Amino acid sequence: MPDPRDPEAAPSDYFDWTARLLDLGAVPAKPEALRGIRVLDLSVIIFGPATADFLGELGAEVVKVELPGGGDVTRILGGARTFWKNTSPFFFPQNHSKYHVGIDMHRPEGQALIRKLAARSDVLVENFKAGTLETKFGLGYRQLAEVNPRLIYVANTGFGQWGPFAEGRASYDGLAQAVSGLTAITGFPGALPTKIGIYIGDWMGACFAALGVLAALHYRARTGRGQFLEMAQCEALIRAMDWTWVHAGLTGKDRPQTGNRDPAFSPSGVFRCRDGSVAIVAATDREFQGLAAAMARPGLVEDPRFATPEARHAEENVRALEALIAAWCRDRTRAEVEALGREHGFAAARVMTAGDHFEDPHFRARGAVWELEDPVYGHLTDYGPAPKLSRTPARYKWVGPPVGMHNDYVFARVLGLAAEEIRALDEAGVIGKWADRLGAKPPDGWAGEGFLR
Amino acid sequence: MKWAEWIRAAEDPARVSEKPEALDDLLVLDASHASFGAFLCGTFLAELGAEVLKIEPPSGDPARRWGPPDAALEGEGLAYLAEGRNKHYITLNLEHPEGRAIFRGLAERTDVVIDSSPAGHLEALGVGYRQLRERNRGLIYAAFAPDGQFGPRARERRPDYDLTNQALSGMMYVTGEPEDERGPRPEAVPTRMGSWISWYAAGAWGAIAVLAALHHRRATGEGQLVDLSGAEALMRFMGLGVFRYEVAGFVREREGLYESAVYPYTFVRVKDGWGFIAGYTDPNFGAICRIMGRPELAQDPRFATTTARTTPENQAPLREEIERWSVDYTADEILAKVLADPGPGVVVFGRVNAPTETLRESHWWERGAFRRLQDPLYGELLLQAPAWRMTETPPRVKWPCRPLGYHNAHVYQRYFGLGPSRLAELKAQGII
Repeated sequence: MPDPRDPEAAPSDYFDWTARLLDLGAVPAKPEALRGIRVLDLSVIIFGPATADFLGELGAEVVKVELPGGGDVTRILGGARTFWKNTSPFFFPQNHSKYHVGIDMHRPEGQALIRKLAARSDVLVENFKAGTLETKFGLGYRQLAEVNPRLIYVANTGFGQWGPFAEGRASYDGLAQAVSGLTAITGFPGALPTKIGIYIGDWMGACFAALGVLAALHYRARTGRGQFLEMAQCEALIRAMDWTWVHAGLTGKDRPQTGNRDPAFSPSGVFRCRDGSVAIVAATDREFQGLAAAMARPGLVEDPRFATPEARHAEENVRALEALIAAWCRDRTRAEVEALGREHGFAAARVMTAGDHFEDPHFRARGAVWELEDPVYGHLTDYGPAPKLSRTPARYKWVGPPVGMHNDYVFARVLGLAAEEIRALDEAGVIGKWADRLGAKPPDGWAGEGFLR
Repeated sequence: MKWAEWIRAAEDPARVSEKPEALDDLLVLDASHASFGAFLCGTFLAELGAEVLKIEPPSGDPARRWGPPDAALEGEGLAYLAEGRNKHYITLNLEHPEGRAIFRGLAERTDVVIDSSPAGHLEALGVGYRQLRERNRGLIYAAFAPDGQFGPRARERRPDYDLTNQALSGMMYVTGEPEDERGPRPEAVPTRMGSWISWYAAGAWGAIAVLAALHHRRATGEGQLVDLSGAEALMRFMGLGVFRYEVAGFVREREGLYESAVYPYTFVRVKDGWGFIAGYTDPNFGAICRIMGRPELAQDPRFATTTARTTPENQAPLREEIERWSVDYTADEILAKVLADPGPGVVVFGRVNAPTETLRESHWWERGAFRRLQDPLYGELLLQAPAWRMTETPPRVKWPCRPLGYHNAHVYQRYFGLGPSRLAELKAQGII
């Protein structure tokens, strides 16, 4: 007899049960997976901060160190057009629920504070040029492992900590796309090179880095040993290029650009509808039968050009199919094509815009579109955590507060400093808060909500 | 010792096998089916040392055939061949009651189950999370579906393809050439990324969630359900989309070669193809102008400030100015100029490499980013190595994929003590 009070028991229907098990409304009351793990985030822009953020959304306590005054350069990114409540929201997507402290790392006293924080942290994330923290600040892995041998030290760069390109060669996401080979396998033959519309090397690289940290934490739980872990953005993209390399090894050739056709699945592509575009894949015989039925052309499955997956892969045949599908989509809406996909069992999906995401009840119910009530900025909407965990769900608590917002909390609670010691550090300029300028300061009219008092 | 020398020795790819593996106490049942996101979740855990049992129906996982249509090896699709690394391949028919009994027996002692059947399908067979956790309270069950396990669309059971995930994620809408006054062009459309990025994101997020759940289990003994969508895995990387829509009604459109936040940050033609060049702060843009021998360009009112350079009408003229110079030099010549520049400012430059050009650069080989395996079954294979460099527990590739049922004898003997004659019976009954 199931216990009616147990949210994991009761409903017989699978989807009624999962709706209760994973209910977004129950998230705040549930524990966090990584509680007790402290991450010291010394990084800036996206690649490093996102690594720490992904651990933070699963419950790690992330202490983000910024230079007093202006803080992370991303706080002013995007230009005057995009400032919102005195800050640049470009800072938000990779800085959720972190504890923000302002420490001047150029000062020996500031370095001492960071050393103390590292001694009490489980993970450190940085994305300086290789070796900089060691030679310039005395805060490299070799130095910090002496004060904390359990430390897991993550260093994110473009090309890595060593190797011919590692010294002197700077990198950005776009460069990683170019040199990894990703640009050459994306887009349409003969057209301009395609820059991915988001900083994919930063985000995917950060995702890999966070995964490496969790594996290292697992090993540490068994052995007590910390370690150094590095993620190179270019190598993250190389890793994510599926069969590109095995194909080059076997054939000696580059895989061609195929535009919006996924060469492994025919037919597949993106087609113009009346109100936007829709992506369609109908790769198996059953899916292709479904598509043919949806198009009211069941005879297509008998046509020798399309009767088998092999026939559908032939270039001239798949081109012919694509032309038929394009003509069929032209006068339909995205929703009509999606509904026919559902009914007939092939994959059809709207090419969604941010506006589509915002208006979508499914993503909202799942927290993929996440509403937040922030103590500094008030209500805002953001993309939510990707994985949905039933017992220890990921979550956001606040986002991107002003520089030094949590100085008092961190220095008192984590380092155990007395109030007058904190004041002395502040007066000496070793620690500090935001400067009174756009990009750094809190919103006008903010009365200090969310501060430790 | 200098840092670069020390870390090079500590990460030496040639000495990986001397070191332990991070996850070698974990057992994972990878029951992924026709989903590369779920499959990669198991792959990443296997690269980090977990024992991963890949379960396929006797007819095989359809993903086994995925890859370019014109190149397969011994019947295996190249994607499966490359990414099936380090797993143990067994067959098991979950449509058969005895197959399900074996599955329950495995799930009772496993740490992780990976499932990508249509949502609720394994539960209907009696071997879903709800049933398996009865006998294994610490079980972590990762379920993959484009529309997830709950929410208004979850019942729709849309097939899991990277292309449709990319479309739903929002990434496709902002990637590619914008339409312009020239009217519709075949390439001026929402554009997919050339590799299966939603599946890589789903696999990595899945492995992250599994290891976070294991962390919770160490403290409490409790397992849990993890719900993953390839579309949402990629959507997490979309930055400010929904925020700006709510605040300003703003929907970002495709920008092609241009970039509203930072510029120059773009592709330019070079003598032998294309290059990428960036230098968007004042000192960095100054460095580009100096390297081009055009210092006056940094004073041009159209380009003199970050705001001026990111102004849309100034972006194309600036790219043209750079390209007028870059077409006279090869990518290597420009990189040499960039590296020789004394500063101030830093320029980021590199060639748009075809994959075979990337493969000719010694940097990646020295670092072990690629590996040539001499495999007894498939011969010489060139594979991308795991992305992490770790000093204590380096990940590694031990073998590529294996044929269907290759490890049946080993696994069924190890976990059930089933010898050859019993296995032959199960095979005859269509159970394995």
